[in-house]
Amino acid sequence: MNRNILSLATLLLLAAVSAFAGPANWQISAKCNVTFTGGGEVGGIFKTLKGTIAFDEQNPAASNIDLTIEVASVNTGNGLMNNHLKSAEWLDAAKFPAIRFTSKKIVKAGATYQVTGDLEIHGVKKEVTLPFTFQASGAGGTFASKFSVGRGDFHIGKPGGEVDEQIKLDIKVPVVKK
Amino acid sequence: MLKRLLLLGVVSGLLAGIASLIYQKVYSTSLGVDFSGIVKPVGIVISCVIGCLLAALGYGLLDKWLKSKAEIVFNFIFVILSFASIVGAFAMKLPLETTSPELFPGLVVPMHFFPALAWLTLRPLFFNSNKQAV
Repeated sequence: MNRNILSLATLLLLAAVSAFAGPANWQISAKCNVTFTGGGEVGGIFKTLKGTIAFDEQNPAASNIDLTIEVASVNTGNGLMNNHLKSAEWLDAAKFPAIRFTSKKIVKAGATYQVTGDLEIHGVKKEVTLPFTFQASGAGGTFASKFSVGRGDFHIGKPGGEVDEQIKLDIKVPVVKK
Repeated sequence: MLKRLLLLGVVSGLLAGIASLIYQKVYSTSLGVDFSGIVKPVGIVISCVIGCLLAALGYGLLDKWLKSKAEIVFNFIFVILSFASIVGAFAMKLPLETTSPELFPGLVVPMHFFPALAWLTLRPLFFNSNKQAV
């Protein structure tokens, strides 16, 4: 009798654990790639991206993504342009050292996913919906996303000039399961 | 005259090239940055020699047109062009994987003046003040 109760309790415990187990956590590789282009010669990369990714392809609703890009890690290939981009007129790296994205909702949209969350750039926080894909490979995979950000929405730089209003971003984040 | 000018161009170009290579080595070692993949040693020497050969041809032409004033006009033009050429060093866009691109002008800007310096240093060995061969 006691043995049956113990077995039943163990089964219930296992079922409860599996029901409440969250999506898998993914470790972001140092080889992640964040590139941006803003027309003509304007473009570059951010070298440092950190954060946490908890993602389950089968259960995107329970997944969440929290990413931070270090503004000072920007590299356009030109020192003067780097300093200009980090200055108060543009990204103001001293005052706003990070670009942050915190997800609120992730849904599957055909072969891709849509993540809705708060994007904070230059001290301005806005809710955005971004598309992304996930390619699993072995114990790892790669998250990829291409989208545009209106720099005017985040009060970056002055309107017009040589830099496009829409800045195109291309993000590739290789990950391994923790 | 032209033969001697071209010889001055080649020798001063080589001297500027050697000075540039020494400066590149000192700069890279002291600051811990390596731009040798962008400005290759062979490219530096060839650029210096070509620059000084062009200077030699320019001097030859000015000497024909301006006679006694050729040297002072040539020196001004050579130095002004050397100054003007540093704009390219500041505007150059390096490959995105290059670290510390802000240190790149510090490497190449002085090199832009080495051909003029080498030319002005060696010129008295090839011509005296009356432009006659020593």
